[in-house]
Amino acid sequence: MNSSMIILAAILLFVSLLLPSLAFASSFAFISNQLDNNVSVIDTASNQVIETVTVTGKPVGVAVNRQKSEVYISTPIGNGFSVLDANDFKIKRKVTTSNAALGIVSDHQGERVFVADWYENNIAVFDTYNFQLLTTIKVGQSPSGMAISQDDRWLYVANRVDDTVSQIDLNTFKIRNTTKVGTHPFGITIDQDGERIYVSNVESDDISILTTASLKRVGKVKVGSRPYASALALHDTLLFVTNQDDTTVSVIDTQTLTELRQIEVGEKPEGISTHPDDERVYVANWFDGTVSVIDAKNLTVTKTIKTGDGSRAFGQFISQQR
Amino acid sequence: MKQVSVILSFLLFIFMSAAQAHGPVRGKLTATVKINAPADKVWAVIKNFDDMSWHPSIAGTEGKGGNKKKATRVLTLKGGGTITEQLKSYKADKKSYKYKITEMSTAKTITHAGQDEKVPVLPVSNYAATLSVKEKGGSSEVKWVATYYRGYLNNNPPSELNEDAADQAVTAVLKAGLTNLLGKFQSGAKGSAIKFKIKR
Repeated sequence: MNSSMIILAAILLFVSLLLPSLAFASSFAFISNQLDNNVSVIDTASNQVIETVTVTGKPVGVAVNRQKSEVYISTPIGNGFSVLDANDFKIKRKVTTSNAALGIVSDHQGERVFVADWYENNIAVFDTYNFQLLTTIKVGQSPSGMAISQDDRWLYVANRVDDTVSQIDLNTFKIRNTTKVGTHPFGITIDQDGERIYVSNVESDDISILTTASLKRVGKVKVGSRPYASALALHDTLLFVTNQDDTTVSVIDTQTLTELRQIEVGEKPEGISTHPDDERVYVANWFDGTVSVIDAKNLTVTKTIKTGDGSRAFGQFISQQR
Repeated sequence: MKQVSVILSFLLFIFMSAAQAHGPVRGKLTATVKINAPADKVWAVIKNFDDMSWHPSIAGTEGKGGNKKKATRVLTLKGGGTITEQLKSYKADKKSYKYKITEMSTAKTITHAGQDEKVPVLPVSNYAATLSVKEKGGSSEVKWVATYYRGYLNNNPPSELNEDAADQAVTAVLKAGLTNLLGKFQSGAKGSAIKFKIKR
């Protein structure tokens, strides 16, 4: 064995040692507890709450910026959002937006954060360096859930009272397209391929499926009572939807667009996010103050974690360490 | 000292009026009462979804579907008006059931911000509640938890449809019901025996 082979073997050994630690890098779920004015941090390796961070202003929306290891938490009664360090769980700053900040999302590059204001009918855009207000985009009535295309070109927003979804060009900050969906759309989920968005219609008890390119209607699926938000798992093959008034999560086959079954979770399930492993789905239960962990392969609840009163976690709330 | 309290109450006032200007937040009102009777006996009084005669404000209950999930009941109120409710889950083993309001009659119509607004008999929206009985060493603890939004979901609600109106109305319903239930087992039952906790 010559020296270059030894070096190669050493490199291979090093890489093979490194790989598992990358694959199982720690991920945390940040659960906003609206009634307790705090955020529970769950270590998803142990599924235990390892820290509770005070966030006043009735925290609701959560957006993880995986690039900058930050978490943005909207506080509707606190006039804006708080910036939480995803590693040491300290509040870094508070950013003032307007009166009713609710939906919140960060772009994939981690450079901008978007905050929907329920009453002002607009979306405020901030950079994530100095948290300067870049612009404000006028949208429909009561904007709530948002999603951003994988290339950060398009922003999708559900205008709850208008029963519409708008597609916004993030180069020009202008609305390109608006389309009718079901009654009172709330959460929006985009698939990894960037082809479809799934919209939860709270008052018509169904999910609208639209193309990302032009908001063309692909289909509609009936789910449980008052669907709030959704999350995709197993390579976008399954969509999980929280049914607030049924204490269940609907499982949708995204190929056939049919409901496979409903899984019993805690009462008033609301926020929902998929773990970076693509196999575990976390559900915040508002009434119970718990988080249910669903195994997407077996479609069973594997763990229920006590969090705080009014667990809402509306948005993408699971971090991924790099 | 007096000055401090004046400043404090002023700050509190500012804070509260600012809070009023914000969006509707779902409230969670928990009412509990301890009753000196076995849980089975207490449960027997309230367990049938199609019979709410244990509540003093209810003149009649018209039920459909018994205690099965999705059963409905129409409550006729002694003060006039109706409330329609649907059974969401029923757990006899846990002595617990959950239901939601699906329809209400209008108590009055008011004008607010230039528009007619209907005030329902219970000035709330998206109301759901859970009623349960737990055995506590020979006696019982009855818990009635209501979750609801204020009646007016847009900004700047009228006083008839704001959070205070919703909280007061729901508190009154829960208090009257549990006091009456307590009175079926203990003489001289008072509303003060009911413990309330509200979170929003």
